Amino acid sequence: MDGFERSSSDPQKAGKGMPALTAAIANLKGGVGKSTTTVMLADGLAYFYGMTVLIIDLDPQANSSQMLLTERGVQQASDQGKGAHQLLGEFMAGRPANAAPFIMPNAVTLEELRIAEEQDERLGWISILPSHPQLRLREMGLEEEWYTRAGTPTTLSTALAAYFKSAFAPLGSLYDVILLDCPPHLSPLARAGLSVSDVFITPTIADSVCTWGTKQFSEWVSKFVAPDLPERNFVLITRFRDTRYARQVESDLREIYLKDRWFGPTIPESVHVLNAMDRAAPDSYDTFRGKYGGVRGDVRRLAERFTDFMSQRTGATWQKIRD
Amino acid sequence: MAEDPGLSAVEYIDRFFDELRTEIRSNPKLAAKLVKALGGNVVFADEAKADISSPYALASGPKQRFYSVYGALKAPEIKKVLKQHNLATTVDMNGKTPAQLVDMLYERASAKVGERRSSAF
Repeated sequence: MDGFERSSSDPQKAGKGMPALTAAIANLKGGVGKSTTTVMLADGLAYFYGMTVLIIDLDPQANSSQMLLTERGVQQASDQGKGAHQLLGEFMAGRPANAAPFIMPNAVTLEELRIAEEQDERLGWISILPSHPQLRLREMGLEEEWYTRAGTPTTLSTALAAYFKSAFAPLGSLYDVILLDCPPHLSPLARAGLSVSDVFITPTIADSVCTWGTKQFSEWVSKFVAPDLPERNFVLITRFRDTRYARQVESDLREIYLKDRWFGPTIPESVHVLNAMDRAAPDSYDTFRGKYGGVRGDVRRLAERFTDFMSQRTGATWQKIRD
Repeated sequence: MAEDPGLSAVEYIDRFFDELRTEIRSNPKLAAKLVKALGGNVVFADEAKADISSPYALASGPKQRFYSVYGALKAPEIKKVLKQHNLATTVDMNGKTPAQLVDMLYERASAKVGERRSSAF
């Protein structure tokens, strides 16, 4: 496994003491629900299994950061010197690789997790290395500088991957799962993110356009990053509208095109989820039931299925702490 | 609609406007939309104001006007507005007085407007 080693911090909980699993949430196609999947999965793993989750948002659109921290929170984080763009600045300045100072330790939106923490009984937690729109400008600046010195996109992504590996290494002892929210293209930054990941979560939508994008992504990753992609790939059909056409595409994805992959539950299109991803304020909290309403069963199944996938990859087992 | 040979063109139009008038009397949201589409500005009664107003639109104007619309509402009505506009969860609203709820509505709506308004315009 390529992930970051973690030490045994809580022997009572099965799965602790195992190497942290790093999962890239990625697809070439935009708008397939990568950020929503990242947040739902983080909430599900923290809530049902008490996992300590770190989200690393490498997408300059900063949507998962926005969903967890709000727009104001993203800006406040940047003002405090936190964020992936700051880490990229460290790389550009040639400073030592260490992501820890740029992480927002609290990205929890669920009331149950907040209350448990308040009572000194942490039962699941979420932190984030947030993104910021500045990340796009900084990445462009880096690319210009790199290519002026006769570098190439491949050498840049290799250098970034090595830097990230060092920068994220100490985090393995603090978190159970690291979710890397990748941008919907193959920039050097995105490629570096993919290169340091153990597994790949591919959200997609049951239509022909997304199926095509998923195929391209799958082929690229298989060729350049993970020849053993099928066994490291967790596919999730999102924003599912229950029509005959969508059912047919979903079936084709599961039974034909990606039949050698792990599949999560199909997540229905939901207004409730859209609302849930629009946090009212940085100090706003909601119960799991209030946040996810009618799709809370889907979030639970997502967490269960992904935990099974993790167990299969790591050999560890995880016990549910909430129903 | 089938043609009725018993009605004149004027009678047809009258019937249409009668229906429209009836609907506008009972549906302030539609009334507000139609008046706005015609470029007009109508002052609605207090009980209709909160229903037809957007806290985001009001929060982008004078604070006094915002409070004149929402300040007179009872707690359940303010909670409904907060919830409808995704400005608070049930957890956030627990135990708050009407005054605290209106303050929350104003602060959060103003913050969202500030965060989301494009700085280019």
